[in-house]
Amino acid sequence: MILVLQLAVAGLATGSVYALIAIGVVLIYKCSGVVNFAQGAYAMVGAYVSYVLLSAGLPPILGVIFSMAVLAALGTLTERLVLRPMLKAQLVAVMMVTLGLLIVSRAACLIIWGPDQIAFPKVFPEGSISAAGIFITYNYIAAGILALVLSLGFLAFYQFTPIGLQQRCAADNTRAALAIGIHVSNQVSLAWAMSAALAGLAGTLLATLNGLSLDLAGIGMIAFPVIVVGGLSSLVGALIAGLLLGVLQSFTDGLLTPALEDFLRAHTSIYSVGALQQVVPYALLVAMLLLRPQGLFGRRGTERV
Amino acid sequence: MALTASDVTIHFGGVVAVNGMALDVMPGEIVGLIGPNGAGKTTFINCLSGTYRPNTGTALWQGDELIGLSPSALLRKGVARTFQNVASLHDLTVLDIAKLGAGVRRDRRTGGHLLDFFRSDRALEELLMESILAPLELNDVAHKPIQTLSYGRRKAVDLARALAGDPQLLLLDEPVAGLTSHEGMAMAAAVRDVRDRHGCAVIMVEHKMDVVMSTCDRVAVMAAGSKIFEGRPAEVQADPEVRRVYLGEP
Amino acid sequence: MSTRHIAIAIGVAVVMAVLAVVLGRYGAYLVNAVAIAAIGALSLNLLIGYCGQISFAQGALLGVGAYTAGNLGNAGLDGAVAILGAGVLGALVSALIGLPAMRLRGLYFAIATLAAQAILEYLFKILDPLTNGVSGLVIKPPSIFGIPMTSDESLVLPSLVLLVIAWLVVSRLLRTDLGRAFLVVRESEIVAKGMGIDVGHTKLWAFLIGGFIAGMAGALIGFANRLASPEAFTLDLSADYIAMIIIGGLGTWPGPIIGAAFVVLLPEVIQRVGEAAGISDILSALRELAFGLLIILFLIFEPRGLTALLSRIKLRRIGVVPPAGLRATGEGSQSPEGRSR
Repeated sequence: MILVLQLAVAGLATGSVYALIAIGVVLIYKCSGVVNFAQGAYAMVGAYVSYVLLSAGLPPILGVIFSMAVLAALGTLTERLVLRPMLKAQLVAVMMVTLGLLIVSRAACLIIWGPDQIAFPKVFPEGSISAAGIFITYNYIAAGILALVLSLGFLAFYQFTPIGLQQRCAADNTRAALAIGIHVSNQVSLAWAMSAALAGLAGTLLATLNGLSLDLAGIGMIAFPVIVVGGLSSLVGALIAGLLLGVLQSFTDGLLTPALEDFLRAHTSIYSVGALQQVVPYALLVAMLLLRPQGLFGRRGTERV
Repeated sequence: MALTASDVTIHFGGVVAVNGMALDVMPGEIVGLIGPNGAGKTTFINCLSGTYRPNTGTALWQGDELIGLSPSALLRKGVARTFQNVASLHDLTVLDIAKLGAGVRRDRRTGGHLLDFFRSDRALEELLMESILAPLELNDVAHKPIQTLSYGRRKAVDLARALAGDPQLLLLDEPVAGLTSHEGMAMAAAVRDVRDRHGCAVIMVEHKMDVVMSTCDRVAVMAAGSKIFEGRPAEVQADPEVRRVYLGEP
Repeated sequence: MSTRHIAIAIGVAVVMAVLAVVLGRYGAYLVNAVAIAAIGALSLNLLIGYCGQISFAQGALLGVGAYTAGNLGNAGLDGAVAILGAGVLGALVSALIGLPAMRLRGLYFAIATLAAQAILEYLFKILDPLTNGVSGLVIKPPSIFGIPMTSDESLVLPSLVLLVIAWLVVSRLLRTDLGRAFLVVRESEIVAKGMGIDVGHTKLWAFLIGGFIAGMAGALIGFANRLASPEAFTLDLSADYIAMIIIGGLGTWPGPIIGAAFVVLLPEVIQRVGEAAGISDILSALRELAFGLLIILFLIFEPRGLTALLSRIKLRRIGVVPPAGLRATGEGSQSPEGRSR
């Protein structure tokens, strides 16, 4: 029971970070119809930028805010320079161009910072809580709570502020938005800016947990199971599915994998199931697409493009 | 009787698009289906051609039930249709489209594709050129991508595709809409010619009254999902109810 | 498939064979790599370029071919049998990947293939008895029709023969009802259905045929590398192949071959230039950077690929202005499969 609780808390912490990434992907998809493979690149670049700023002695809060601002600029730039000229391109070309962005940013970071893992400056206090038998580091708790609060904050912003309203309007019906005087292309740029900033923060948080390396870019791929489970155009879905998958992965790693390996060792010649937790989200993705393609929170019909 | 459709009803949510529609068509007969916008004409055609599945109704065609069959199954039974809007198909030539039309009648779930691979198209091409494309004046553009043709000629290509399947029942959805009057007359002549040569039954949804009057043997008038009148073209024009509903007279 | 196609395909293969002989060992290695990549690209072009089914699982599919051929070859079977076996398993796995396409379209299907790629990569790692896990399966040099394939030079011939066959089979296929149905399904599934085309059936055949060719290409990759390991068949490889067919020209006849040559040779050129400039320590990163940038630039400025670029240059030189929209491949074929907004 204690193990279950421990795993759940750890899962929720990583799940919150997934949610931050996935919310960005959904935001971009809603507004511009682009499925962004480069979300992980934003996370990675965000972490490196934070690293540079924090190493330069900036206080953590300022450093992270600056790094989010840099990422917002980068997001806008990507949209204006790369995606906008491709407005009429085929789906596969658009997906491919975002993959190209991922390749370029990974190579650029490799050239600048090298292939080795870098220790990330301390942001959160050392130590850990152990209560009721649960043991968890401050780092994890702080990162998880921060990601969760920011996700919820962003959803509130999107739902309740005038800018959020314009965003929703532009995403919902481009023509209608244009007709009532919303500058849609600015809204699209803004969506990219916000997504990149959120991803940059997520990358920074991940770096505080696992250290800084090019592997951070891989986090972008988890967004796909998350957004499919949540529903491709549902921000709330992205948040809930992010948490769900975080917990699912944590349980897989902590409970299912050991049990499965015991069983396999006893009955077959396979002795390891490898990183099962990495593949479980994809199995869920496939099941979801076949059983309920609109996801948990999506609307039927409109989504099956 | 070639086609006996009765009690065809379909609703989308709360909207009843077609309500208890009935229509009979004899072999070799061209029946016009007219009515104001939203009367349910195209929806009725969609029910017959397997695009929609009506909530109730039957459509017996030479003793077989058509309702519930897929478009490909219908084509194998000799029921073909054309579309209101012609799809833009890149890379395919006029002849390609005609061949596709001719191919759908062959059932090839049993490895027929493998045979196709080794079969020459030459004989089929000549047949299609002569019997389908030439009468529709598409011979000279047979090897052009349909993207390069005018809207009117693309509609002729769509008709050619339907005819290539050698249909006995032809459902035409606004074959003349969007065409110039010259193209429209040529198309109407082509439809009559097709009927004369193939002896097939034709149901034609159309708005252009001059075309309907000059082409159809019989006309059915739909309004609000039901048939309100049926008769020879001259009778339709004279009927006060039709004039009120359709032509907007008091 | 016309006589012109046959002549060009054989001509290209002969030129490549001559290059392999003239340029020696390194040349043979490059020719072999281009030919194998071209076979893989042909298969993906069939799927994406002609049938409109976006797949990100090509990398894993090639892996299935490599592992299958490796196991069959190591078990002592002739290389030709191993290649065919890899084709069969490739076709089966590809059909399995394509199964969701019976219900899903466009973006949703593309995401499903992403999952297939991830799941296959995982299976490569854990199915120890067949794949030897993360360390990879060492593949013994095969004998094809009894002739031992101990070097790149010896593999050039089978690769080129398979390339010509695959190329011509695909172009012949497009002249059958099935091939024409691919093109209609690509433009609009609704139109295809209305025309009486069995859409699911058509897609399934695209996956089977594409998978068979991909499996054989994977077998050749395994034989050329003498190793099949999980990190060789990742999403990055899928991306390489999509880049090939886009850069070459989506849904064009020579596109996959031109694109494969470009994507295989570009890093080699950068490597040579970099070595000459004395910056070999960051070369691999620079190569990636240039590759990524080129993909992006291509997609923005020449979305119809090198095939369109070349034909435009040729037309301009003889003074013919291409009519707008004529046989546009790629650009403008905005369809229900395209983006929603």
